Amino acid sequence: MKSYWRSLKELEDPKALRIQEAREEAKQKSLLHKTKGSSTANSRRDFLKTLGFSLAATSLVASCKRPVEKAIPYLVKPEEITPGKANYYASAYYDAGDYCSVVVKVRDGRPIKIEGNELCPISQSGTSARVQASILNLYDGARYQGPQQAATTISWSDVDAEVTKILKEIAARAGRTVLLSQTVISPSSKKIIQQFLDSYPGAEWIQYDAVSASGILVANQKSFGQRAIPDYRFEKARVVVSFAADFLGTWLSPVEYTKGYTAARKLDDGQREMLRHYQLESQLSLTGTNADVRFPVKPSEEAGIVLALYNAIAAGRGGEQFSGPQTAVDVSALADELLAARGKGIVISASNDENVQLLINGINQLLGNYGETILWDSALLTKQGLDSEMEQLNKDLLAGKVDALLVWGVNPVYDQANGAELAQAIQKLKLSVSFAERKDETAQVCQYILPEPNYLESWNDLEPKAGQYRMAQPTISRLFDSRNVQESLLAWCGSPQSYGDFIKSVWEQEHYPKQSTYSDFRLFWNYSLQKGAWEDPRSASLTYNDAWLAEAAGKLTNTKSGLEVVLYESIALGNGKYANNPWLQELPDPVAKISWDNYASVPVDYAEENGLQNESVIKVNGMELPVFIQPGQAPDTIAVALGYGRSHAGKVGDGVGKNLYPWVGEANGGRQFYLEKATIEVVPDAIYELALSQTHHSMEGRPIVREANLDEYLLKANAGNEIRQEHLKHSVTLYEEMDFNGHHWGMAIDLNSCTGCGNCAISCQAENNVQVIGKEQVRNRRIMHWIRIDRYFSGDPANPEVSHQPVMCQHCDNAPCENVCPVAATPHSAEGLNQMAYNRCVGTKYCINNCPYRVRRFNWFQYVNNDRFDYNANNDLGRMVLNPDVTVRSRGVVEKCSMCVQRIQEKKQEAKVAGRMLHDGEIKTACQQSCPGDAIVFGDLNNPQSRVSKLFRNERNYHLLEELHTLPSVGYLTKIRNKA
Amino acid sequence: MFVLVFNLVICQITKDITKAKRMKRPTLVNPKCRLYLLASLFIFLFICSNAARVSASGESSVVDGHSLEDIRRGERFFKGLLPFNFKGESCVSCHNILSSDSLNWNPSAMAIAIKYAGRDFESFKASIEQPVGAMLSQKHAGIALEEEDLKAVKAYLDNMAMVGPQPVKPSINQLLIFLFFGMLITWALLELIFFRKIKYRIIPLIVLLASLGYQGKVINEEAIKLGRSQGYAPDQPIKFSHKIHAGDNGIDCKYCHHTAEDSKSAGIPAMNLCMNCHVIVREGSQSGKFEIAKIVDAVDNKKPVEWIRLHNLPDHVFFSHAIHVGSAKLDCQTCHGPVEEMDLMRQHADLSMGWCVNCHRETDVKFQENGYYQTFKNLHDQLDKGDLQAVKAQDIGANDCMRCHY
Repeated sequence: MKSYWRSLKELEDPKALRIQEAREEAKQKSLLHKTKGSSTANSRRDFLKTLGFSLAATSLVASCKRPVEKAIPYLVKPEEITPGKANYYASAYYDAGDYCSVVVKVRDGRPIKIEGNELCPISQSGTSARVQASILNLYDGARYQGPQQAATTISWSDVDAEVTKILKEIAARAGRTVLLSQTVISPSSKKIIQQFLDSYPGAEWIQYDAVSASGILVANQKSFGQRAIPDYRFEKARVVVSFAADFLGTWLSPVEYTKGYTAARKLDDGQREMLRHYQLESQLSLTGTNADVRFPVKPSEEAGIVLALYNAIAAGRGGEQFSGPQTAVDVSALADELLAARGKGIVISASNDENVQLLINGINQLLGNYGETILWDSALLTKQGLDSEMEQLNKDLLAGKVDALLVWGVNPVYDQANGAELAQAIQKLKLSVSFAERKDETAQVCQYILPEPNYLESWNDLEPKAGQYRMAQPTISRLFDSRNVQESLLAWCGSPQSYGDFIKSVWEQEHYPKQSTYSDFRLFWNYSLQKGAWEDPRSASLTYNDAWLAEAAGKLTNTKSGLEVVLYESIALGNGKYANNPWLQELPDPVAKISWDNYASVPVDYAEENGLQNESVIKVNGMELPVFIQPGQAPDTIAVALGYGRSHAGKVGDGVGKNLYPWVGEANGGRQFYLEKATIEVVPDAIYELALSQTHHSMEGRPIVREANLDEYLLKANAGNEIRQEHLKHSVTLYEEMDFNGHHWGMAIDLNSCTGCGNCAISCQAENNVQVIGKEQVRNRRIMHWIRIDRYFSGDPANPEVSHQPVMCQHCDNAPCENVCPVAATPHSAEGLNQMAYNRCVGTKYCINNCPYRVRRFNWFQYVNNDRFDYNANNDLGRMVLNPDVTVRSRGVVEKCSMCVQRIQEKKQEAKVAGRMLHDGEIKTACQQSCPGDAIVFGDLNNPQSRVSKLFRNERNYHLLEELHTLPSVGYLTKIRNKA
Repeated sequence: MFVLVFNLVICQITKDITKAKRMKRPTLVNPKCRLYLLASLFIFLFICSNAARVSASGESSVVDGHSLEDIRRGERFFKGLLPFNFKGESCVSCHNILSSDSLNWNPSAMAIAIKYAGRDFESFKASIEQPVGAMLSQKHAGIALEEEDLKAVKAYLDNMAMVGPQPVKPSINQLLIFLFFGMLITWALLELIFFRKIKYRIIPLIVLLASLGYQGKVINEEAIKLGRSQGYAPDQPIKFSHKIHAGDNGIDCKYCHHTAEDSKSAGIPAMNLCMNCHVIVREGSQSGKFEIAKIVDAVDNKKPVEWIRLHNLPDHVFFSHAIHVGSAKLDCQTCHGPVEEMDLMRQHADLSMGWCVNCHRETDVKFQENGYYQTFKNLHDQLDKGDLQAVKAQDIGANDCMRCHY
């Protein structure tokens, strides 16, 4: 049997680690253990204090009267609102290249949850952690509350008068006005921008993405004559080769790709074929952890490998071969496999070097993947920014060649390498306007701050892929005095109009005539608004032009010297725009399981050679960074996440981690996200504490994740799961078995489909009012997430295999926690749920100690309304996100996954009122609804036809620690790899 | 202020003397009477200090050029103390100044004060002397007052609207009695252990046991009542009568509380729903036009009525009307009592968990009628075989913790 290890320490000496952990945990859990140096002795004084407190509390309770509550009805009740019932509105999220079609749950006029929109063929009901957390951005205390000029409030009409005057002045003397935005995918906005540019000669528009797809765009311009990103269809692929593209985590359209990727790897309906995934990368990315075969390589080596692969495939297909940098990596097997799966492969690279991308295009062309797995019918439009344009603007700003800068949704002062100089240049401008919704570094130096509303407060239309239109609609009235950028631009063009009306007229003139289903525009509009989507299918096949290949190959370089630092977007924070979101800050990184910091991932060998431990400190090019020893990190590389180290993000995000954007370089006209020849020195004896949850929740080395390879699985369906038969033989009990007369809720999790992206954790947090506890408490192993994703390494520490496993309360029918509760606060329900009655709980924590799955959480503190935990739950605005259907837990009680019992109750109520039976799949838990991998299935185990029952009968199904006879209601399907 | 204090002194002394006369103690030299005088002097000083405080706050609230004098005159007029030869009923005989235990359909002084605080004297006068509504015309018929008096009344009411209602005097509450018994216990213990002055030790022992018993009873009762409010019937901003609407006029509960069948919340009718009828019905049989006018005002001023919430479950309880009304088809009266007989709505049940759970133990589920319950095949089989007479709510898990607490 394979041995799994969670951290390097455990690999070395598992027993010692466990003893140490147990001790540490005991220490951390003791209330007396506060901070270092504080007295731990209990004094007479403490006793008197407690006595006094209890006396005071008793007399308070004795004399308290219930407050008089008001019940205030609507004056005129809106037709669609029923108090106590949620409304759902289709909308769409787009920010920093992330697109997702969503459904917004609105309770009594306030949005409280984001769900995936299953009607959208792109994101298909999936979301990402960042999209889930975007609901909290709406209630962010760092949002600007109204237009300001030089930190003083100003009215919109004054803004319009003043800005128009300056803009006209600049236009009159042929000055230069630049509108700097992130990629705009809204067709209506583009029209408005055009209108603006037309009315101010000398104005120009530059799209800038902090982490761009510039290389791909330029390469495709050369290869296909179109500056666009093709449509990758992972569900049709059999072989995927990715060069450092984290397509399941952060690259281009991760939700869509995860949907396709997991669909091509599912085996639960008796499929016998599976996509095989090769990943060549330096830091262990989320995508890398899911790869069947992974090669750790240095970023500078990539070009050589791509060329070698091209040459090998060209040799197989009879194409021209080029000479260039050599590589030691043998790609012949890879090439053979790709050649064998012609038209069913996808080769991608995250490189921003157009030459590498040209070769990638060449490879895909030779393999005949275009038109099969890579389509041009509906190109992806979410990243349009060219780095060269921003580079030029940067130079022009410093040289004083710009008169006015309008900044919309981007933050160059933070994410350009020379941010400080840029800030000074912006301050000198004749006119600088920021449309920032919330505080950021660039807005801080602009004259005018004209806040735009949150996406949940405004109309918008989007075209994430050519011909696929989406609609975003307001779900709450504007919380602050904000105005859409589009409306500002229209006002400055002299044609003020509401943006909503503008969109409507665009749809009436452009989309309505193209369809024939609806004979009335109003119907068409309502239909599109309700669905959130309208498709205008396109078909396109572009001709490939290989003229640039030879030149590109010639330009490839392979420095391959020195230590390299890889800069990547983290799963939680992305490019750092929403660093003030406490949910995202506290989401542990899927691979390192660290929250509240960025850190230097160093390879195992390097750490051993230099005597580094986790939390040691190293100086990289003069910047001190905490060390995390990352198995799988390529030799001679270090990886650090971008998006941290914000200085003007708000009280949550400020000063968390270090800003690494100054290290982003430039190569061949594109931003280069790695640094060559870095110097590194160890800071002796320094310790930087990381909120590491890696060794949390120990499973004590038992066969928790079961896995097999595809060939074994094809021979025997229960491959890797043989031990289950043994366990079932011994499954006898003295106790009476429970009867479940009606429902018996259960959940099946397909480990083959779980990529570990963390979406479920945030979705659960939003649904169940799970509180943020901050770095110190996470370090104390008190993280409150009801669903955690365990990550286990196995095999070679230099290049380990990784398994992700979501673990929540297993709702055991023979639950160890239930028997030990002295106050019966956690009994079993008639529907198989392990219930938790908060008001009955007295906080003995016996249940936590007796739970073999470590899924119960204790409220060590009052996390709501407590200045020590100054996150979203400490102010009225942030608390608007709370779900009114779930109790907010107070100090001293235990909580855990309830299988979204509020959703079960809601759907049961619907069925009962309608007098019909529940349908299978009608109830979806929060984690399940928006899972981009469709890894979670919830349903009634009493119904033999339900999907979950079928999955429970699957040979791959097993339960965690089944040998304990806890009879969990959660089942896992073995992970099947597809290694060669 | 001194004048006022002096006046009050005189007033108090005369009052005391009259009281003394009534008590048939004619001579002031009677030593018992001296004691009484001493006490009344003390009380009078206490009242004086209070009165001084009242006048200090009263002085700042001079309204529309009316002096404190006017306000006090208005008060006396309102209370029927002025003019002395007034033959009709005084204002206060219909319009309460203090809140009363019994339902008074007429608007209270405070309600009138608030309504006319922002209006001019003419409209105030018109409402008294030429009222529009039939009921008011009848009741106010024959009232002819001096304009000066009316102005004083208006000044008094305006002042009342600004100052707010008079504070209700605190009564000796349970806590004081409780503390008294605590002192008795202490005394009894001391007596038993240290003093031993009383010959019959049974006496302090009885006192001790009785006091402990009383305290135990109070603690038990208060603990049970903690967080419950059975019988709670606060005054509402509008004297809305369920008896008139649901009882006399037979309006279905769900006409107003129309979300009861499919939402957790039964819903409090929006103002526009009231206006469905009250757009025509502008005068009530009991309260005349005054109360109904509040709805119209609310709609006109776009300011919804702020009802006092009666049925107030704790935040960790998730109760659904839809399950009980929409699915279980319970009558509203099962939980809310004879609402159709209540002029002033009150909380009928104690809404305790024991009350919920007991009902779940006793109530049959609509097992055959509702298609949802076809899921429960076992129970249906047992019913068919006759092993089971009826399915109670608790048999299908209605008493599980997570039915209501999540």
